[in-house]
Order: sequence, then structure tokens, then C-alpha cells
Amino acid sequence: MRHFFVMALFAALAAIVFGAMAKDTTRERMIYGLKVFAEFMVIGLVLSWILYFIP
Amino acid sequence: MVKAERVQVEEAPGTAWLTGLAAWFIPGLGHVILKRWYRALLMGGAVWICFFVGLAMGGHLFDLVSDGQIALLQIPPMIANLGQGALYIVSWLINYGFADDPVRAARATYEYGNTFLLIGGLLNYLNMLDAFDIAAGRKP
Repeated sequence: MRHFFVMALFAALAAIVFGAMAKDTTRERMIYGLKVFAEFMVIGLVLSWILYFIP
Repeated sequence: MVKAERVQVEEAPGTAWLTGLAAWFIPGLGHVILKRWYRALLMGGAVWICFFVGLAMGGHLFDLVSDGQIALLQIPPMIANLGQGALYIVSWLINYGFADDPVRAARATYEYGNTFLLIGGLLNYLNMLDAFDIAAGRKP
């Protein structure tokens, strides 16, 4: 659980900076930030499951 | 026939360079100077959180010296850490956070801590570029 929380915190912090930097309107930034966050989380989970099966 | 295009390059004013420097030195300060309060809070805050959470999780900062010898492999992570500006410099001056001892390395969050410290610096480089672009009028 701690690992998941740390990964989520990392994804959130990176998404905040990426989201704030990109796009033009606040709405677009919010959507982009959420997209980056979701991407970090999904990729992190997929990679962790792949690595789980590799001895 | 290739049409030659003349690209006009606008020179950035000196204040933009200073703002960029301030943004690197104190995370968030560049946007504070530009009165972009929310950006300063969000973008600068993310770097500060990365730094302190990274240290709290047992991560260590990189410098040139490893095991008493100068190691070239330390340079890339050191550059990433150095992105945190004064946070890195003050830690270096008081020699805090650079120890890479086995006790610290045995912690479950050790690698997370290192990653947070590295990413914090890299995110601050982005903050610096953002503040520079705004100050130079290249970004609204």
C-alpha cells in the first residue's frame, strides 16, 4: 500500500508541473494534468505486474 | 526551389534571465516575481515537496565524489539534483543528505527517495524554463 501511495504522490507532483506548463486555458491544463497522472499510474501498474512475473 | 525564410529571433531581456535564475535558485520564486501566484504555489510547491519527501524517505543527493573518488557516473544524477538550486547548495554546505550508507540503503523507500530527489531537480528545470518564457514574453 505504501508503494502505491508513493507512486501516486510521484505521479501527482509530476502531473501538476506538466499540467501547469502545458496548454493555454485552465480547463485544458486540468484535463492534461489528469491525463498525465492517469498515464503515470496505468503505466506504473502495468510495469509492476510485468516485473512481478519476471523472476 | 527552396524558399528561403528569414527567421526573426527576438532576444530575451535581461530580466528574463534573472527571473530564470531566481526560479532555479529558489523553486517557485521565478513565478512569484512574475506575480503568477498559483503557478508558483503549484510548480514550486511540487519541487519543495519532492525534495523533503525524498530526503524523508531516505534518498540521498549525488555529488562528484563517491567513496572518496571522483566518479564520472555521478555527474548526470548530480546535474538532476542540482536543479533544486539553493536546496541542493545548502544541503551540500551543511553536508546533509549526501550520505549513502547501508542503513539508509536498506530502507524500503530508499530508491523512491532517490527518485523524488532526482525528479524534483528536473521538474525545477522545467519551472525555470517556464518562468523564463513568461518573463521573455514568449508565453502568456
